[in-house]
Amino acid sequence: MLTLAVALASTAGCTVASHQEPGQATAAVADAVAQAGSAVATTRLTVSLLDADRVTTPVADAAVLDQVRVLEESTTALTTLVPPDDVSSAQRDAGLAAVADATAEVVTARAWVAREAGGDLSTSGAVPLTASELEADLARAADDLDAVLALAGGA
Amino acid sequence: MKKLLGVALGILTAIGGFVDIGDLVTNAVVGSRFGLSLVWVVVVGVVGICLFASMSGRVAAVSGRATFEIIRERLGPRAAGANLAASFAINLLTLTAEVGGIALALHLASSVEPRLWIPVAALAVWLVLWRVKFEVMENVAGLLGLLLVGFGVALFLLGPDWGELVRQAVPPSPPATEHVATYWYYAVALFGAAMTPYEVFFFSSGAVEEGWTAKDLAQNRVNVLVGFPLGGLLSVAIAACAAVVLLPAGIEVSSLSQIVLPVAQAGGTLLLAVVIVGIVAATFGAALETALSSGYTLAQYLGWSWGKFRRPARAARFHLTMVVALLLAVGILMTSVDPVTVTEMSVVFSAVALPLTYVPILLVANDPEYMGEHVNGRVTNALGMVYLVIVVVAAVAAIPLMIATGAGS
Repeated sequence: MLTLAVALASTAGCTVASHQEPGQATAAVADAVAQAGSAVATTRLTVSLLDADRVTTPVADAAVLDQVRVLEESTTALTTLVPPDDVSSAQRDAGLAAVADATAEVVTARAWVAREAGGDLSTSGAVPLTASELEADLARAADDLDAVLALAGGA
Repeated sequence: MKKLLGVALGILTAIGGFVDIGDLVTNAVVGSRFGLSLVWVVVVGVVGICLFASMSGRVAAVSGRATFEIIRERLGPRAAGANLAASFAINLLTLTAEVGGIALALHLASSVEPRLWIPVAALAVWLVLWRVKFEVMENVAGLLGLLLVGFGVALFLLGPDWGELVRQAVPPSPPATEHVATYWYYAVALFGAAMTPYEVFFFSSGAVEEGWTAKDLAQNRVNVLVGFPLGGLLSVAIAACAAVVLLPAGIEVSSLSQIVLPVAQAGGTLLLAVVIVGIVAATFGAALETALSSGYTLAQYLGWSWGKFRRPARAARFHLTMVVALLLAVGILMTSVDPVTVTEMSVVFSAVALPLTYVPILLVANDPEYMGEHVNGRVTNALGMVYLVIVVVAAVAAIPLMIATGAGS
């Protein structure tokens, strides 16, 4: 009983926030944003290859779907982070916004891949008609991620 | 002429059978993050696997017995039992990664969810193990695995700056963007991927399956010394493709679908299709080898009747072991664990288990009681001792590096 009480007392003060250094939080933001940047770059490459008929639609779909999962991981890494100060809190918020935007663009890219594969999405206004439009949107999302990465000292 | 064809076939299957899911994933990950700065590890790993595979083949050809039979006799049941437990666990992890690799490759070819392919892949592996002759199985998988040469073709079609690739490789040093500990973590992983223990169990047991004798030692040597280094070149080509296309784009490999993108960029859909068939064949061949290795290690340790040269009814427990291993692999994969993560874990834990596999082989290859006049020569022993130090260092460093780097993240 006494052991249990001592164990509880000694672990009661442990919280994620109180023991995380600002530098660690910044590094965690940089890692998550870099991961998202890789996902956007993969999607851009896949879109350009599919547009040039150099990749099959199953491979393109698998590649973009895998990147959606990578972005989910990035989002989880950022949403579960408890920043210890205002600076890292602002970095986390900027990272979350940039990753959310990147996720939206990659999800759109998957719909575009589905349409290229003959899916029934031709009337969907949210899906860009051309690869170059989509690549421009992905490039903008990548720039936003780079800006956050620079803020977090990762670039 | 027939003998020459036999040698050529042996070399080709050694090349095609060299690359498995561990080599594919680890080389692509390393290429996309470190360029060719870790290519020296592939060279060290290939020399090591040549050394120990030819040694274990020689032991099997001269003694007529496979590795684990002799390990138990030489080390005693307790030490050999510990060795068996570790080797079997690593082998099961590798088998899981290979079955997952088949499913991922079929997913790329079909868009059908990998989880639906997993039981199909395992069933196909079991059917081949049950029905197909050893030589046919080994040769077909090895020859189809040769299609991975598509990575080499892709590299040439990409027209890289060769000077830049050489500059990445020599002198070997981590890129400024990567931590030194991460560099060494991937060095250990790459070494583990090149020297995966199942290759030696399969090689020595395969020698018994094919009835090698001391007369076959020359062919064994040629198969290993020519086939494996050429297989190693395929590994380098995979890393180089990633270094040329993915590294400059800021893409870190975390899935099989990313690994084939440089091939698509270089050679379009035709070369992509060739490489995907090659990946299916390479992972399928490795799944056969790891499933067989599960049966070989357990049956040889426990003194059960084993081998594909026997009818399944005459080696029932050997076949049952393979079925159970396959079912366990399917069970693990059906939990939705990422096969690429399993692969990354399997190559690191392979590195941890390396001394357990290679120390006994070195001991037995030096024992005149088993080897007679075919004991290791001075040069082989000197090289063996150097590799003993390397595998022990890699084994000791693997887990601390994994913890320190967050598994290379």
